[in-house]
Amino acid sequence: MNAPFFKYGLFGDETSLILAFVIGIAFGFFLERAGFGSGRKLAAQFYFTDLSVLKVMFTAIITAMTGVYLLARIGFLDLSLVYLVPTFVVPQIVGGLLLGVGFVIGGYCPGTSCVSAATGRIDGMVYLAGMLAGLFGFAEVYPSLETFLHSTSLGQITLPALFHVSYGLLVFAVVLMALAAFAAAEWAEKKTAGKLPDPNGSLTALPWRLTPVRRLAFGLAALGLAAALAGSPYRGARVTVDTRDLALRASHDATSLAPATLADWIIQGRNDFALVDVRSETDFASYHIPTAQNLPLASLNADFAPRNQTIILCSDDGTQAAQAWFLLQAQGFRSVYLLSGGLRAWRDQVLFPKPSAEAPAAAFEKQAQVAKYFGGAPQTTGASAAPAPALPKLAPPVLAAGPAGATQPPPKKKKEGC
Amino acid sequence: MESPDRSPQPYWNSYWAGFGLGLVLLASFVIMGRGLGASGAFTTAVAAAAHAIAPAHAGHNAFYAEYLGDGSRSPLKDWLVFEVLGVFAGGFLSGVLANRLKFTVEKGPRISTAPRLALAFTGGALMGIGAKIALGCTSGQALTGGALLNVGSWAFMLCVFAGAYAVAYFVRKQWT
Amino acid sequence: MIELTTTRHNPLIDPSLHVWEWQIPVYLFLGGLVAGLMIIAGIRLIVLRPSRREALVCCTIGPLLGLAALSLGMFALFLDLAHKLHVWRLYTTFEPTSPMSWGSWILLLVYPALLANALAHLPEAIPALARRFPVLVAISDFILARLRLVLAIGFANVALGVALGIYTGILLGALGARPLWNSALLGPLFLFSGLSAAAALLHGILVLSAPDEERPAFADFLLSSLARVSGARPLDPNAGPVLAGADNSFLTIELALLGLFLLGHLTSTAVHRQAAGLLLTGPYAAPFWVFVVGLGILIPLLLQTLELTHRIRHTLAPAVLVLFGGIALRVILVAAGQESHWFHALN
Repeated sequence: MNAPFFKYGLFGDETSLILAFVIGIAFGFFLERAGFGSGRKLAAQFYFTDLSVLKVMFTAIITAMTGVYLLARIGFLDLSLVYLVPTFVVPQIVGGLLLGVGFVIGGYCPGTSCVSAATGRIDGMVYLAGMLAGLFGFAEVYPSLETFLHSTSLGQITLPALFHVSYGLLVFAVVLMALAAFAAAEWAEKKTAGKLPDPNGSLTALPWRLTPVRRLAFGLAALGLAAALAGSPYRGARVTVDTRDLALRASHDATSLAPATLADWIIQGRNDFALVDVRSETDFASYHIPTAQNLPLASLNADFAPRNQTIILCSDDGTQAAQAWFLLQAQGFRSVYLLSGGLRAWRDQVLFPKPSAEAPAAAFEKQAQVAKYFGGAPQTTGASAAPAPALPKLAPPVLAAGPAGATQPPPKKKKEGC
Repeated sequence: MESPDRSPQPYWNSYWAGFGLGLVLLASFVIMGRGLGASGAFTTAVAAAAHAIAPAHAGHNAFYAEYLGDGSRSPLKDWLVFEVLGVFAGGFLSGVLANRLKFTVEKGPRISTAPRLALAFTGGALMGIGAKIALGCTSGQALTGGALLNVGSWAFMLCVFAGAYAVAYFVRKQWT
Repeated sequence: MIELTTTRHNPLIDPSLHVWEWQIPVYLFLGGLVAGLMIIAGIRLIVLRPSRREALVCCTIGPLLGLAALSLGMFALFLDLAHKLHVWRLYTTFEPTSPMSWGSWILLLVYPALLANALAHLPEAIPALARRFPVLVAISDFILARLRLVLAIGFANVALGVALGIYTGILLGALGARPLWNSALLGPLFLFSGLSAAAALLHGILVLSAPDEERPAFADFLLSSLARVSGARPLDPNAGPVLAGADNSFLTIELALLGLFLLGHLTSTAVHRQAAGLLLTGPYAAPFWVFVVGLGILIPLLLQTLELTHRIRHTLAPAVLVLFGGIALRVILVAAGQESHWFHALN
């Protein structure tokens, strides 16, 4: 079994929503248990009287971080498939400052305000109303902010990649930093609130005994140390391919798709497959099949589609597409098909079909309609000797009688981030 | 309806609550390949409401369009919307089990209810705007991105603390 | 390219079209709720001695709410009718094979039965009303003095409630063109869903009426003024655990019936398997599992169990969730049913 389960196609969209609800219940439960339904407890963080926010947040971060690292390192979790919010440096600094100000004024952050409202806190409910108003206002001024919001983009990038340090080493560093921050937090609490730490719930309190909390801290530190020594968590370099299996698949006829079938699918407006054109960008710009997306062979990385997505590859004569087919098979995609004969066959069979002696006239009539739909032209018998006709312009003309939806662009993916 | 002891139970130790939260986050990474979130659900709700009230206006706004999807299914059938529904349910369950349900206003002793609620509203609005500028809130950015060592998330997280500590002095009457 | 509109393309014939909107699910929900209120009120009237009838909640407030809910439901149904002026024609005929005809006659009998049940204890429950209209006292005395009449009213409420609850399910089940609804279990399913909604509603009213220091002052003020204006007697809180326990049984049975309903489809023809798939894995899976099963049945079941074992205090949450789940069940079944199709199985 490979993780992330959803991206490897273990279950579909509907099931993912049910799991979202279950994960949300656990999330809300622990937030409330931590005391984050109370605005006073949250705000105390900023007056150094109760540093629970820091402790809870960083324990959660280092737990998940070491967990992700180890699961990825043993090859169970494909880290490249875990969604990373893209980095826009200045907007995220400005947004962070604004959020911090809102945090101490409002007393909550969006997640904790849900928990506070659910436990009857009226200020939490008012906070939620304020957030909705803020979001609405933001949407109205969004067009004028767009350039700023997309400025200083670094793409999807992690700290190890930015600073060219080993991922595992940074994991260890963050764990140590967090443990140091916990010790400092406990010291600050003792100073400002003058409260004596509970010896069972504290990392620094004396007398020194190996309490469960300390075991947890040592455990996380040990995992961090292991991470520092264990190398890259990314999978890409260590794909294992069953060559026999791959050869069997390749020799199998069922891996290719006839141009006429693809044409039918596009006309029907089916959106359960991704048509990927692996030629260069200039070739793609001069002509491509409607609904195709351009991913030149060199930039074909694993995370452009979920592993269970049906993918149809096309290139000029099929050679490049076949190379891409091997690449995607090796990366775990399971339903990858080749457009048989490539774009050449597409041109001859779909755009400019010729009537053949044995096929009935009605069949050719249908072919001719399909050709017109894609902006081509059927060839009459007499013109068979003429030179190959020019490819149609991009954006084929829409026939008035064409079925609705057939010419719409492929569905836009909804945003994944928060 | 007899009533046994109904005084609120103490909160869990921060480290253990955080450890639980971290495991939930890890489960989300393993199951879904994405982290937790909150503000996105409310953005979807606002976008859906705008779409229901003024479809043409919402359709032309690039911000709403991003949350409305392609129209093939309800925009409310969204991962974060269902997750946040769960957050409400989970928070309620935990609260009721620990006798912490109470209609009350969280505030310090030196401020009355109305100004506290006005500040809560203001804070919420600032949070909503900030979360959209930064592409996420404390859950979606700080927690999730923090665990993934995301560059933007760490910059964001440090700025959240910086922003809050910078302003804390001026609203101290609200909390202490 | 459709050049000729044949029957299969006619939007009024193609069964994939959604003809029913919100009115029908709302009517089905309110009908089920009324059925539940009638059965609970009838049973309480039959089995309890007059002095122990928790006067207000089950035997008076229940039927009064039932009358209001029934009128609302009938109005929703009326809104759905295409020929609104012809509604009286339903009562010029009786068609023994048509559930529609059965339904319209049951609905006609439900009103007097509910009213009689409410009148039996109205003067004790709302003394202020009785002082203003002494005739209410006379009616109540007349009913309570005759044990047979009391029993007759009780049994009539139970019988009509069961008939009404089952009828709301059979109404869908009779439509052969929608495979999802082809199940005799829809009748009992809607009956028990209605019963759980009714028990939850009454339980919720009890929770609201009980003194509660966790409630904000303005809510307490509102509730106590409401009681003062209506002149109602305080409710008997002892009915709370009874209702919560009953609700748990109803929810458990509802869950089992839902399982059997889906199992029946899964072991049937391909068309029915596909229809059940709409709820289990298809486009209605997420709302079905989260709203109907999760929020509507499992979470209230858990909360009420904790309430009954005194682990947590009684809150309004189970009532709200069960009522919401009841609406969600009808909305989703009606919407998914209209999408289920005999023709899909062909491709």
